[in-house]
Amino acid sequence: MNDDGDRLTRPRATADIELRHLSRTFGEIRAVDDISFTVGAGRLTGFVGGNGAGKTTTMRMVMGVLSPSGGEVLWDGRPITALDRRQFGYMPEERGLYPKQAVLDQLVYLGRLRGLSASAAKASVTAHLERLGLAERAKDHVEKLSLGNQQRVQIIAALMGRPRALVLDEPFSGLDPAAVDNMADLLREHTARGVPVLFSSHQLDLVERLCERLVVLAKGRVVASGSPDELRATSVSRHRLVLSGDAGWVRGVGGVHAVDVEGHTALLEVVEHGAERALLEEALRRGEVHEFSPQRPTLAQIYREVTA
Amino acid sequence: MTTLQHRPDPDTAGAGEASGPADEQTSGGGRPWLIVAVREVVVRVTNRTFLFSTLFTLVFIAGFAAFSAWQAGKTTTYTVAVSSAEGTRLVEQAASTARSTSDTVVITPTTVTGEDAAHAAVDRGDVDAWLHETSAGWTLTSGDDVGSSLRTPLEGAVRAAALDRNAAAAGTTVEALERGATLGADRFDGQTTNRGFVQAATFAFALLFFMGALMFGQQIAASVVEEKQSRLVEIIATAIPLRALLAGKVVGNSVIAMGQVVLFAGVGLVAVSFTEWSSLLPALSTAVVWFILFFAVGFFALACLFAVAGALASRTEDLQSTTSPLTTLLMLVYFASFALSGTALKVASFVPIVSVVAMPGRIIAGDAAWWEPVVSLLLMAAFSAVTVVIGEKVYRRSLMQTRGRTSWKQALRTAD
Repeated sequence: MNDDGDRLTRPRATADIELRHLSRTFGEIRAVDDISFTVGAGRLTGFVGGNGAGKTTTMRMVMGVLSPSGGEVLWDGRPITALDRRQFGYMPEERGLYPKQAVLDQLVYLGRLRGLSASAAKASVTAHLERLGLAERAKDHVEKLSLGNQQRVQIIAALMGRPRALVLDEPFSGLDPAAVDNMADLLREHTARGVPVLFSSHQLDLVERLCERLVVLAKGRVVASGSPDELRATSVSRHRLVLSGDAGWVRGVGGVHAVDVEGHTALLEVVEHGAERALLEEALRRGEVHEFSPQRPTLAQIYREVTA
Repeated sequence: MTTLQHRPDPDTAGAGEASGPADEQTSGGGRPWLIVAVREVVVRVTNRTFLFSTLFTLVFIAGFAAFSAWQAGKTTTYTVAVSSAEGTRLVEQAASTARSTSDTVVITPTTVTGEDAAHAAVDRGDVDAWLHETSAGWTLTSGDDVGSSLRTPLEGAVRAAALDRNAAAAGTTVEALERGATLGADRFDGQTTNRGFVQAATFAFALLFFMGALMFGQQIAASVVEEKQSRLVEIIATAIPLRALLAGKVVGNSVIAMGQVVLFAGVGLVAVSFTEWSSLLPALSTAVVWFILFFAVGFFALACLFAVAGALASRTEDLQSTTSPLTTLLMLVYFASFALSGTALKVASFVPIVSVVAMPGRIIAGDAAWWEPVVSLLLMAAFSAVTVVIGEKVYRRSLMQTRGRTSWKQALRTAD
């Protein structure tokens, strides 16, 4: 146990999930190729990548549903065990519940399998049903619920009974905006008690809004990871330049790359550090500068860059 | 697990790792297989289709018994037309024979003047048949076939009369003629058996086993594939070992299957007590107890195999093909119970699964020594144990294989 200062200052910390050189092959295909990253305790980590990038395979390996071809998963600094995972909340990629069993009954059943007592499971399920607006449907069979409501039941199956970690595959898909906010609040409550949360999503704006940490996957490899700001810092910085005259001349300036020039406006990438200074001096010499501003790249932009 | 000494956090502590009021929620889970088994039982017992089919079968068994009892207690009356005093004497003798074998057959003579009157009486339905003498001897003429319960005593009466006459003519007696002409039958164990009854009971065992095994087997397979298809198994697999899931399913379904069979057998035994076979009840009860024992042990192996069949499929639609080796096996057991006899039956009564029906059948027939069912049961217990061990491996390997259907061959190969 490395009780470093960082971990002690976090509220009610539990532990980190650490992926070390995780790989998985299916026949000839390398679905996951030497992935390493950490889902920190009390942190919301977003897992981003295109279809077939290996997100689901990675999450299934973390949960032990699939065994890795190489590498290992650590919990609290030691190899993870089935007993550890029993206390994790997991939401698989493909959703499903017992269609012909009442919502409350099957959630209590799943809770008891995770080691909760019948009364504790019932209390937790009832509280969650109320929060997600499903209290009146507790006795209904799952097959009678709308898909969105089935999704909420699935969320409760993962979140009930104070899990020690959460691994959620596309938890926000199929939810309306209000339910997304509700869900985000719920996840933040779990990180506030120190739980590490790993969730995958296609919705980059959502990931940007929620996550303290991001892992971008492409073709089975981690192509970028860090906080959204860290990712932006590694991204090539862009500037917008608006002049009084025609901006066409910027194409000839060394150390900068003109991404787009249109009339008085140019969008530039600074390739050589310091080149923007020379550029600005030249612009002032030629006339008036109406605007010279750094452009904050969107996550979508970074994503396109790193997965290109 | 030194984590807790560094960061005591009862809310998130693992089962049994810490004490304190908040720990209650993670420590009271109970045994996972038991939780699964209880769910299987509750889901099945609260299922309307299951309740109706059970009730329907019970009504059927009780109804069958009531019908048999009614049939047995019903009195059949025959009226036989005769045209001579000799005919009247024959019918009266037949009536007394019929009365002595069964008190539900009454035969009465009535006198008619001749063939035309007899024909008219038969057509009107006043009499069932006309007994008259022709050149060849006595003839029974009727409008339709004559039931054996009338024909047999009449034949006896005619035969006795003819024998008497012929014996007198030959200067001897019937008793002298018939001396040494009868074949006695008894058994070393002193028991009396009823072949029809043995067959009927064996058929009942075969039917109970076939229905029970097929119905509950398919249920298990369906419940396994339901979890696999919906990927619920992924959630369950992260919570409990798959071995516990399999054990829970097998135990849960075995308990209900046994409960149902015991219920049916109990009602069946009560039903038998109302029939003419009630005197055979002690022998039947022993066989039923053995049957239930065999069923319990045999069903355990079958339940496990059906769970594997469910795991091999990835969609409900695949079940038909993955369970077909098992349904074929059950069909064979079912037909073997009628088809086999002698040495073949003796061998079959030691072959696991087939023995579920074959051995209790032999027990009712009274030709099984006391040690035979014991050895047969031990053989099946060993078979079940091996099946459960292999089945568990295949189940684990194929359950997570969510794409396409796995064949039995593939599954067994990867099990090593």
